[in-house]
Amino acid sequence: MQESWLLFKRNLADFWKTFRHNRMGLMGAFLVLTAILLAIFAPLVTTTSPNEIIRDANGRGLTFAPPFVHGPLGTDDAGHDVWAQLAFGARISLTVGFLAGFIAMFVGSLLGILAGYFGGWLDNLIMRITDVLLVIPDLPLMLVLVAAIRQLNLQISPLTVLILVIGLLYWTSTARLVRSQVLTIKERQFVARARAIGAGHIHIIRNHILPQIMPLIVANTVLILSTAILIESGLAFLGLGDPTQPSWGTMLNFAFDRNAISNNAWWFYLPPGLAIVWVSLGCVLLGNVLEEMLNPRLTGHHLEGEARVVKITGEEAAHAQHLG
Amino acid sequence: MKKTLWFVFLLFALLVAACGGGTATQPAAGENPAPTGENPTPTLEVSAEPIVLHVGWLGFPDTLNPAYAFLTESYTMFDFVYSTLTTQNPQGEYVGLLAEERSVSEDGLTWTYKLRQGIKWHNGEDLTSEQVAWNINAFIQNQDGWVTNSGYITGFVEARAVDASTVEIKLEYPISNMDYRVSFLYIVYPPDFESFATPEDLQNFTNFSPVGSGPFKITTLDKDQRIIILETNADYFGGRAKIDQVIYQTFDNSDALVQALKVGDIDMTNEVPDSAFAAVQTFENVETISRQGLSLTELIINSAPADHDPAPTRNPALEDPQVRLAIASAINKQDLVDVVLQGNGKPGVNIIPPVMGGGFWYNSNIQDVAFNLDEGNRILEEAGYVKGADGIRAKGEVRLELRLQYPSDSSTYPRVADMIANWLSEIGVKATPEAVDPDSLVVATNPNADYDLVIWGWGADPDPDFMLSVMTSEQYVEGGWSDSGYSNSEYDQLYLDQQQVIDRVERQKIVWKMQELLFRDKPYIILYYGNDLEAYRSDKFTNFLDSPLGIASFQSLMQVEPVK
Repeated sequence: MQESWLLFKRNLADFWKTFRHNRMGLMGAFLVLTAILLAIFAPLVTTTSPNEIIRDANGRGLTFAPPFVHGPLGTDDAGHDVWAQLAFGARISLTVGFLAGFIAMFVGSLLGILAGYFGGWLDNLIMRITDVLLVIPDLPLMLVLVAAIRQLNLQISPLTVLILVIGLLYWTSTARLVRSQVLTIKERQFVARARAIGAGHIHIIRNHILPQIMPLIVANTVLILSTAILIESGLAFLGLGDPTQPSWGTMLNFAFDRNAISNNAWWFYLPPGLAIVWVSLGCVLLGNVLEEMLNPRLTGHHLEGEARVVKITGEEAAHAQHLG
Repeated sequence: MKKTLWFVFLLFALLVAACGGGTATQPAAGENPAPTGENPTPTLEVSAEPIVLHVGWLGFPDTLNPAYAFLTESYTMFDFVYSTLTTQNPQGEYVGLLAEERSVSEDGLTWTYKLRQGIKWHNGEDLTSEQVAWNINAFIQNQDGWVTNSGYITGFVEARAVDASTVEIKLEYPISNMDYRVSFLYIVYPPDFESFATPEDLQNFTNFSPVGSGPFKITTLDKDQRIIILETNADYFGGRAKIDQVIYQTFDNSDALVQALKVGDIDMTNEVPDSAFAAVQTFENVETISRQGLSLTELIINSAPADHDPAPTRNPALEDPQVRLAIASAINKQDLVDVVLQGNGKPGVNIIPPVMGGGFWYNSNIQDVAFNLDEGNRILEEAGYVKGADGIRAKGEVRLELRLQYPSDSSTYPRVADMIANWLSEIGVKATPEAVDPDSLVVATNPNADYDLVIWGWGADPDPDFMLSVMTSEQYVEGGWSDSGYSNSEYDQLYLDQQQVIDRVERQKIVWKMQELLFRDKPYIILYYGNDLEAYRSDKFTNFLDSPLGIASFQSLMQVEPVK
């Protein structure tokens, strides 16, 4: 136990040593972390609650007020503080995005491992399901599913529905990726040896296969997060979010429905749009760098010799990516 | 260098493509060759170019068949194309249109309409009294076919052409609002409608090139481009309009509509969105009009009787009058007007809008429930609904968790729902807003009775009869107008009474009493009366008729003229 902990710490230190020299990775981490911090400390950085109606001197709702007439980002069509909506909206957008992303990662990895490791009819079944889901366009399918689930009148909140639908439909690419990795790993000699001395399936998967594909899963998760956040915004923009809880997508939905463009209320639609770009860009940068660092085979060109790949350092990796 | 040049080319190509796309959407540019100057109509001799009024709107008629039309857009077109025996004038009084004179017999059972001389159909044929009688009789005899007219002809027995210019309508009982009723009976060209064997055949007829007798005739109706071109009817019995053409162009998005008005692509619209009205007011050369109208927006509370088939699916707490009262006291209607309508409206109280009949029908004695969250909490506390750990009140098994639905085609209701849900949460009621496809919502409210709260709106007729009929129990059948399922035999009786009382003041008493019943039982909580919001290009056209009929009414378009 002690030993593996030390090993983990050393690995982490090594990782950080390489990572901190990677400017794109640091940038990505910065973008994602600031958004997370904004979400966590939303009540501290805002002065009003997101659903409070700001009023003018006569007690009437102060609608479409530009920045600094009220607050740093003005008010929206309902007199809500846009900055408060943005900060609290980060909570919803990130929660939905992260939870959905993790569900997708978990389901995808599990199915990928099962399909790749056991093969046969199970592989066939899982891959055919994956094929079907890959063929159907994501967004329309999710729209239909969200609407259909709501018709059932189950006592679950609209956000839970969103999380489940995104999470349970978005695992296909992870499953395919993981499966192909597992297929190569299970043919390696150490797996064959473990099997020869009588190791069970669970033991082999846990101790020999999972550690090998973990880097892939981690990197893939970060990439899926950005997609999940984008999809959440898309569905909320189409009116499938929870209008009482602001998310960046519902803010855009209201901006569109309530003629923010005709009112020249750029402070209403630009911030949520930029926030979505901020987080998804961060996730993509971070995900690409992680994938590259944790999976050294991606750094070199496939025609270059194995020897070069072994020697590569973090800085070179970043450089290589710039070129490629 | 090479790369930058490429980029410039690409940019140029994109620009050309964008400009091309821009002009293609303009209807006059190539879609319709008529106004380009080759058309040898007499109008061209007077002025070199035909005078075209471009109107922008957000909808499109699904049919132009008056037997089976439900969209407002269809009725806008009917008013241009067809004529009726009577019509409302800008002051809100009823006057004859096809009919020159109208009179009623002593017993109130026979109405006689004397038609104007020289009325012609758009194809040049004469409009005869026989044809008018044929219309009315068709509505009476084929009520399953002429569904949208059936409400207006209850109590009619038959119509008869007495002579070449006189039509007589016989009634079962005296009818108090005859002028209003016949003002909705569009007189269609019989040869177009005679041949249908079954009600379904009649209703499937879209009638997209109608022959009428109105001031404008439809020359082009393009369903794909969503453009309607109307030509002025030079032989119209009420005189010739001062413009030559009206082009209705549909916009998919209200921002695009507003921009089109700003740059002058359209000359007029009567569908300025509430949330853009303030912006439109600042446009140069654009005149805006915000006028109290006949529309209302309400919160429907599922009031279907327990023995309704199928059985109502709803939170049982809604049957408790105290819960309804608490919900009413938790809605800040003034805030809804200020925020959602941006000030262009009035808080709602009654199902009859305050401007109907000049305020004659609106029961001004009713004092609305005041907005008071403490009071709402107190009422629920007293009624036995106790706040749980999650802040939601419950009485035994019944938790105050409600669905709050609205039609998904509205851009206003999501904000209304959001605000109402927030207020309700402060009195311990959890309302979950949800957009629902309008067709599904129609079925959910009637006949399925499967809903808790629904936000929806009505455009009232100029007479109280229609809005009052919406709350009668006989309308709570499939295809009927009732959505609340309200059922009260006293109310139903009063509804029949007000139809038959000829004396206006007597009728007013009944109408006021009915509003009291509705206010007491709260099948609806009327949220607000939204203003009609209109705008036009004052640098291009003038002399619009600013009246409750709207600047897009046929009376208004008859007198509009270009700015010299």
